[in-house]
Amino acid sequence: MTRNLLITAALLASLTASAQERYATRTGHISFHSDTPMEKIEAHNHKATSVFDATTGAIEMAVLMKGFEFEKALMQEHFNENYVESDKFPKATFKGKITGITAEDLKKPGSHAVTVEGDLTMHGVTKPVKATGTMGMEPTGAIRATSTFSIKPEDYNIAIPGMVRDNIAKEIAIKVEVDHTKM
Amino acid sequence: MKRIVILIALLAVIGGGWYAWREYNRTAGPTSELEAAEAIEAAALLQAYTADENAANARFNGKVLLVSGTVREVKAPENGLVDVVLETGDPLAGVVCQFAQADVPSALTAGAPARIKGISTGLLMDVVLQRCAIVE
Repeated sequence: MTRNLLITAALLASLTASAQERYATRTGHISFHSDTPMEKIEAHNHKATSVFDATTGAIEMAVLMKGFEFEKALMQEHFNENYVESDKFPKATFKGKITGITAEDLKKPGSHAVTVEGDLTMHGVTKPVKATGTMGMEPTGAIRATSTFSIKPEDYNIAIPGMVRDNIAKEIAIKVEVDHTKM
Repeated sequence: MKRIVILIALLAVIGGGWYAWREYNRTAGPTSELEAAEAIEAAALLQAYTADENAANARFNGKVLLVSGTVREVKAPENGLVDVVLETGDPLAGVVCQFAQADVPSALTAGAPARIKGISTGLLMDVVLQRCAIVE
């Protein structure tokens, strides 16, 4: 009886494992861009992690705030110390769902329009985010996901001092480019 | 006397402006020239982060570390960057050192011992060091 139960459990586990189509990366590229007549600011981070489950559409991403690199050192210092307070809030995370694509779509090269919706947590504040993007298999076999959306610093309790208010855009554009590989 | 005061004020304005301009345009210097805050083995660094991430964040994040270990993998270049992964004893997590492609010595291959200076940014699936440089 015990043996039968063990075999059933093993079969169920193997069926569950084969039904899951999981993709992941440790080298996702996230950048943000602020464009005002006074100043253009952009920063890049090439170390975002992402795990995507093609059977459910669930996606989880994380990025280290100190990993954003600016052209100018002073901007990077202000970003970490005064704005996102990366000592207190070292990570930003996103947990959500991608719709508009199936696991079958990812088995042949092509790009598909998708919608991503979920919760973005940054600076200790969690807010819902909805954006459009693309997802599909690259000729290399990587599962590429891209999206661009905007956030307002004030929504995440990020205060911009009056002295530099005209230098920083009211809405910051966030670009996401992630190449997943099968887990 | 009045002329001297005006001259000093003018020099102060020019000096202040020059300092502000220089500071505004300052870029991050090469990590190889920075002094390491701490020297640590790769396995010990991962262990410190996994044992108490908050304490490790406070101790290491944003600091220049000199990390020693054996190279597990040198990844293919991506966007002009190369990841060198140091062995930690944990097959699922390493210490990832991100180099500018031009800064990676060709002799750096899997299995080689390495001493790497880099700035710790924290723990995701791995401990991540950026702006890395080899220490001979």
